[in-house]
Amino acid sequence: MNFATFVLRRLGLAIFVLLGVAVITFTLSHLVSSNPLVAWLGRASGNRVLAAEYIQKYHLNDPLYVQFGYYLLALLHGDLGFSVFKGEPVSEALAQTLPFTLQIAFFAILLTLAIGIPLGVLAARYNHTAVDYSISGFYLAGIASPYFLLALFLLIVLTYTLHLLPSGGAFSPWVIEPYPITHFPLIDALLEGQWSIFVDGLTHLIMPSLALALGIFGYVTRVLRASLLDVLHANYIRTARAKGVDETTLFFKHALRNASIPVVTLASIVVTWLVTGTLFVEVIFAYPGIGQYAVQALSNLDYPSLLAITLVLAVIIVLSNLAADILYAVVNPEIRLR
Amino acid sequence: MKQRSSEESKRFLKSFLTRNEARLGLSIVFVFLAVSIIITITGKSLLPYDPVKQNVGPILASPTMAHLFGTDNLGRDVFSRIVIATPNDLVVSFIVIASSFLIGIVLGAIAGFWGGILDEILMRSTDVIFAIPALILAMSIAVILGPSLVHMMYALMIIWWPPYARLARGEALQVSQKNFIESAKTSGTNTLTILKKHLIPNILNPMLAYATLDIGTVVVVYAGLSYLGLSVQPPTPDWGAMVSAYQDYLISAPWLPLLPAVIIALVVIGFSLLGNALRDTIESQNIS
Repeated sequence: MNFATFVLRRLGLAIFVLLGVAVITFTLSHLVSSNPLVAWLGRASGNRVLAAEYIQKYHLNDPLYVQFGYYLLALLHGDLGFSVFKGEPVSEALAQTLPFTLQIAFFAILLTLAIGIPLGVLAARYNHTAVDYSISGFYLAGIASPYFLLALFLLIVLTYTLHLLPSGGAFSPWVIEPYPITHFPLIDALLEGQWSIFVDGLTHLIMPSLALALGIFGYVTRVLRASLLDVLHANYIRTARAKGVDETTLFFKHALRNASIPVVTLASIVVTWLVTGTLFVEVIFAYPGIGQYAVQALSNLDYPSLLAITLVLAVIIVLSNLAADILYAVVNPEIRLR
Repeated sequence: MKQRSSEESKRFLKSFLTRNEARLGLSIVFVFLAVSIIITITGKSLLPYDPVKQNVGPILASPTMAHLFGTDNLGRDVFSRIVIATPNDLVVSFIVIASSFLIGIVLGAIAGFWGGILDEILMRSTDVIFAIPALILAMSIAVILGPSLVHMMYALMIIWWPPYARLARGEALQVSQKNFIESAKTSGTNTLTILKKHLIPNILNPMLAYATLDIGTVVVVYAGLSYLGLSVQPPTPDWGAMVSAYQDYLISAPWLPLLPAVIIALVVIGFSLLGNALRDTIESQNIS
């Protein structure tokens, strides 16, 4: 199979999966209440004008398969229903909250790699020693922690005991948020040259991202350690050593580069964890992202928002899996032959 | 088909029990299981205080001999509240895992054995369910069913089986190409018998190891749902819900939210250690 066919196949699969997800959210929207209008308008379904508009728009008096067709059409137009408690269309609420979550996710991934890779290297280099065992104890504790434990723990240590970081929010209360250009507040602050706002936003990002990273870095450490130990016994390493390559070059240039390839396969686990963990972390740190939005929607029984968030998170997961699959095929050509 | 003799089981158990991971994991799991069983039988009669009764001590007292884990904002004994909630997480995770195991092994074995269109349907539908994070999907289902422990369990049962089906399918695919299955087929044994007698016993081991590791994952997800207020309703105690209720006292009484959270982590660690040891033992037996 050549590379283009591989990518096309994966793309087809991703589209199929997204269609399946739409079937699930569509089914859920009909299970919410005997009146499907509730799923699109929530408590506003009593509003005659809005109700008439949505019955017409979603063809709610037509057979189910017709409704599903119009549902897909609406999704493709970015129409996700109306959120009563936000007082705006769901798509707008999503556009405001999603960038905040993506900021957290980006830094969480950076921190996951920054903690996971060095510890994986250490654990492999000193395998079956006290160093290896303490590292595995450390990551086991992280993986086993429920989503909220690490966040609460960091709050106690870094905020209430050491007074190093702010307890929550995206910016300090006195900071005027940067004018939205890209809608990513940190990037906007940089573009507008507001250095102090950027630093303020960054200090508010550290704890939420760290809380997520501490729960997930263990997977990176574990996989990297195992694959490093495999690679170090490979023939080409023995050959390189016999040719007189010094141990440091051997380890970092020959072994580590190849051993890093399997880490790419963790993308799916990492993204799923981030997407779930962000619900708890954003609530605990009062961060105005999609996770906090989801929990607010939950307590307000705002179905349109909940279904839309489910869909958006699934899209994020499918796209990142697709990207990881393609990246994996790029760094590891062997996979394409299967 | 090799039947595992008692000799082999003994060797397996011996190799399993020499692992430190297995011993530590077993001890942790044993404690929680014992507490769950005792609580299920005796209810609150053995507890030092009634877990829902208010003002059994001062408000927000630090841990003392009288109140091991201190008291909460309503003067309730936190130790009694944590202990009485032990069966919740364990029962939910055992039932969810058991049902996923059953659904998964049946669907997976059928798909792997027959292949073709059945296999394709199974694989693609698991692809779809994998795309939605378990907790988010459970949340959407929970909103429809309404909050309660049993409803949470249903929600998790609906979404938890796909990895089991995948695992069973992969193993079944491998096993079904082996000679003893071929010879059973040619000797005219009917398919159901082949599945029951030859295929399923051979895919059980790797699935058991996965299931043990997975119990911890259910505990974490269930605790998350409980934290979001979707499970047991107050005043009935539940670990996840306690963390969210006590979070406001993070400065004045940090042990209140931390203790239930750490207990959850401990359960997860216990099952992870056990699952890891089980997997390693199975792998080393396969090699030898």
